Amino acid sequence: MPTFKLDDREIPFEKGETIIQAAHRQGIEIPHYCWHPGLSIAANCRMCLVEVEPPPGQRAMMLDILTWDAAKNDYVVDRKPKLQPACQLAASDGMVVRSESSHFVKNTRAHVQEFLLANHPVDCPICDQAGECKLQDYYLSQQHTPKRMLDEPVHKPKAVPFGDTIVYDAERCITCTRCIRVCDELAGDHMLDLRERGNRNEVVLAPGRKLEGDYTLMTEHVCPVGALTSRHFRFKARVWTLKETPSICTGCATGCNMWVDVDPREERAYRNRPRDNAAVNKYWMCDDGMMTYLRETERRVLEASARGDAGRTKLTVDQAIERAAAALKGVPKGWLAVLLSAQASSEDNFVMVEFARQLGAPLYLSAKAGWKGDKILRSEDQNPNRAGAVAVANNAKVGTMKDLLHAVSAGQVQAVVGLGTDSDAEGDALATLGRVSDVVLLASHDGPLAARSTVLLPAASWLEAPGSFMNVRGIAQPFAKALPPKGDAVPAWDLVARLGRAMELDLKYRKFKEVRAAMAVITPAANPEKSSTADATAPAVQPQTTA
Amino acid sequence: MPGKTKVLKKPNRSLAEQAYLLEIAKGLGTTLKHFWQGTSQMVSGNTPDAVKDPWADGIATISYPDEKRPYAERWRGVHRLTHRDDGSPRCVACLCCSTACPAQCIYIKPAEYAEGDARHGYERYPELFVIDELRCIFCGFCVEACPCDAIRMDTGTHMTAYDVKSDFIYDKAKLMSMVSQHGTQKSENPRHEPGDPTHPGVDRLHGGH
Amino acid sequence: MLLFWISAIVKIALIVGTLVNMAAILLWVERKQSAMMQNRIGPNRATIKIGSLEIRAAGLVHSIADGIKMIWKEDWEPVGVDKFLYRLAPIAALVPPLCLFAVIPFGPTLYPDHARDLYDASWAQDAMRAVPMQITNLNVGVLYIFAVAGAGVIGAALAGWASNNKFSLMGGLRAASQMVSYEVAMGLSLVGSMMVYQTVRLDEMVTWQTQHCWGIFTQPLAFVLFTTAAIAETKRVPFDVPEGESELVAGYFTEYAGLKFGMFASGELVEVCTSSALLVTIFLGGWQLPFVQLTGFEFHALGIDLSWHWAHFIVVIVGVLTFVLKCAGLIFMQLQIRWTLPRFRYDQIMKLGWRMLLPAALVNVLATGMVLLFLNGGAHS
Repeated sequence: MPTFKLDDREIPFEKGETIIQAAHRQGIEIPHYCWHPGLSIAANCRMCLVEVEPPPGQRAMMLDILTWDAAKNDYVVDRKPKLQPACQLAASDGMVVRSESSHFVKNTRAHVQEFLLANHPVDCPICDQAGECKLQDYYLSQQHTPKRMLDEPVHKPKAVPFGDTIVYDAERCITCTRCIRVCDELAGDHMLDLRERGNRNEVVLAPGRKLEGDYTLMTEHVCPVGALTSRHFRFKARVWTLKETPSICTGCATGCNMWVDVDPREERAYRNRPRDNAAVNKYWMCDDGMMTYLRETERRVLEASARGDAGRTKLTVDQAIERAAAALKGVPKGWLAVLLSAQASSEDNFVMVEFARQLGAPLYLSAKAGWKGDKILRSEDQNPNRAGAVAVANNAKVGTMKDLLHAVSAGQVQAVVGLGTDSDAEGDALATLGRVSDVVLLASHDGPLAARSTVLLPAASWLEAPGSFMNVRGIAQPFAKALPPKGDAVPAWDLVARLGRAMELDLKYRKFKEVRAAMAVITPAANPEKSSTADATAPAVQPQTTA
Repeated sequence: MPGKTKVLKKPNRSLAEQAYLLEIAKGLGTTLKHFWQGTSQMVSGNTPDAVKDPWADGIATISYPDEKRPYAERWRGVHRLTHRDDGSPRCVACLCCSTACPAQCIYIKPAEYAEGDARHGYERYPELFVIDELRCIFCGFCVEACPCDAIRMDTGTHMTAYDVKSDFIYDKAKLMSMVSQHGTQKSENPRHEPGDPTHPGVDRLHGGH
Repeated sequence: MLLFWISAIVKIALIVGTLVNMAAILLWVERKQSAMMQNRIGPNRATIKIGSLEIRAAGLVHSIADGIKMIWKEDWEPVGVDKFLYRLAPIAALVPPLCLFAVIPFGPTLYPDHARDLYDASWAQDAMRAVPMQITNLNVGVLYIFAVAGAGVIGAALAGWASNNKFSLMGGLRAASQMVSYEVAMGLSLVGSMMVYQTVRLDEMVTWQTQHCWGIFTQPLAFVLFTTAAIAETKRVPFDVPEGESELVAGYFTEYAGLKFGMFASGELVEVCTSSALLVTIFLGGWQLPFVQLTGFEFHALGIDLSWHWAHFIVVIVGVLTFVLKCAGLIFMQLQIRWTLPRFRYDQIMKLGWRMLLPAALVNVLATGMVLLFLNGGAHS
């Protein structure tokens, strides 16, 4: 592999890679604003300028400049090398690049940073980017001098609505055009552009358009400063109070990797952010996926209940398990149906499959109905773990919800034990479930099935318990627990295991580790430790163009 | 390695000191002298002015609520939230103070200004601003952290002793009602609002060229 | 007989009432005295308001406020206490010092029939018409005092045991061992005095001192020993490790609140009064004022013959006042010691008790015996 030298360090690169890409893969960050590993190269921020030494035997290109000489109290003639943007300069074998080691580079970065901040309003207290803003980071690492411009800064439009999701503040904008490129290259829709020049330069909507589509929040995500803020997050929290947890998007079967940012003091999720994974979602997520954290708290099942003659009565979890076990014990073999869920984690489904196998019960799968997919990220299948639920069934036949309803109509089912609450069957068809005497459901959210359950057990949501999903391409990916379970909720696998033990079945699982270990042995395909390629520091790849 | 041993010299006491009795008598003499001094000062009403001269000989304490020693100008008292010219809080709910607070006694719930307000979409304000004055350690970090000069501790008063714990939880209204020791509810640092005459500059429509 | 009963009841009421109120007054004395010694103003803010009149009484109102507070405070009992013993302990702590006063003579015997007459020794023959200034004249006198003072330890020990608290238990243990230790020295220190006075009756001791000289001159070492032991018995500074707040919160009465705590606190102050009265009686001539005889002022020395006869009741009043003032002086000294000396360490207290006071008391007994033997010319007295 060819290499080049960056500050006395040999950096390997592949042909066609730029200096910043190769360095990024080695974990070296060359300061930059406009460059993004997932976008095309603009080279307009000039922050990544580096000094490239001339090939042996050639003179360096030098520029005549004036520098301030404090001793003489005057400017003196000086020379400096012509610097090159690292994001645009392709690496070549044996090249010698100086970044941190060159005082020309450091000096230039400080001046670039000073120029970028010349007209900045410095309204960090009211800016939601504060804490994760590159202007703040580079001010501290590259500039660290007081502002020298005494004139009033240029004032530009503030709080410009860019559609339903994004608000734009032109004063904070450094016009790096990342947002424009993300619209062009990810969404394939040229909704944004620049107008004016110099210090009046600003991002505007294309005439007659507003920022719309399924990837608008990515403009905010790539914005290195506080110019673009999302309506759902702005003014809600400060990023330094949030704690990030690696998670998987539950919006569809793509299984985009994401960070979920929670406030540990309020035990509340505040936002999702894409987590880089070259094999799955690269750097992106769709708007619906970004908003799944809000869905997590809606219509939660927080307490166990049982349906009686006088409506639902509240129970403790132990009471409900006892009641369910008592009802299910009386069901003769073969008359019990077990419902897996494409919304639940592989671990939950795995324990459910074990439960069914020991009772000799047939397996069915509940899932959400399909939705509109696209060719970028969104899968047609709205369920994050259909593949995983099938994989843990271990070649056993898994029927659909329709199959279950057929069996119920045919009078072959006396009781149902189910995971999840969603159904791809219509409301009228579900009424058939009324013929089943006992429907024990383990659900985290209220829904069509939960309403028809006789015993309802509160399960933890995907943010409240660890687990794994297998996406539509067969990649099993783990996710971590971000929040403590709300209310009486318990992880679903634990509920199944306790229900099994109450029915004197051999379900010994008491810790999540045990479930994961058993799953790795019995259904290795579903084991996320093996097949996952989830990696937060994924290597840089060529920008994806979908337009 | 053995630890260093420091040998302490035995105090050199005479037999009279060892016997203790004489020393007790001396001690009693000292206390009696002070008793006599204090009593005669109190009876004659001739006590030194401890407010002005804390090191005077004799009775050195003051009758606190009746007499008070002046606080220093930069003494950290109970917090107040400063006002803008229109009476709204200067605070923009940036949460810097609650982040800096080592006692974690500040709770702020940020909110956006209502539709139609000039600051809508541009600034936020504290919907709730609560300081638990019992938890507060009066370190002044919140004042240091505040980028907007919105929270100050220049009230010159200290915590009142309330009967009920909940009275020590100061809410936004209470904090906004506090006045500095110079009688103002504002801050002397200037503040420029967009659209103010004090906020000049070129913009896209009113260019400088 | 009627006179006997009426006078007995009046005397008991007077003494108990005085002693209990003395606790409140001593509380004030202690506060104000310490304030003066420490260049402070001291308590002065409690006020009784009558219209525009504000009574502060130089802080004396604080004692009243304290009394009211202690009475109205919640009578709180911790979980797991031995209820009976827990409630008994404060009573056991307060009653012995009150009882001690029963045998202390606080004035010359009053003969109400001859109030305005000049004293005559023949009056004493009609014992039924005499009112001795002493609640009861036991023939065991000093021994009764040791017995009752010894019972004082029970209150502290019970409180420490019954409180179900380790601090209390430690405090109770310390109190018990300290008081038992110092009782030995206290008892032995008085043996010399008994040998000199040839009696254990306190009124006869006063009489002896009236006729000869004050006990402090015949038994100076015993005076020091007894004072030390008496302060240790009251468990006050510098002997207050049983309630040493730096290590034991409040020692044996940690778990007591309200009036029960008040009984412990006032018990301590009553002990101060009682021990002062004992010291006055045994070593400082009791109610006797120099050169004042039962007939009035008499000075017959240095070639001067002065005689100033007083009516009998004036002599009695002068005697009682003398006793009260002597007590007040000693009380003041005891309180002053509290604000002067630092607290002893526990091992120092034990060492002082067993290795200093006890041998010194024994030596005192031996020396007294030898002197008496020498003075009596070797004859059996």
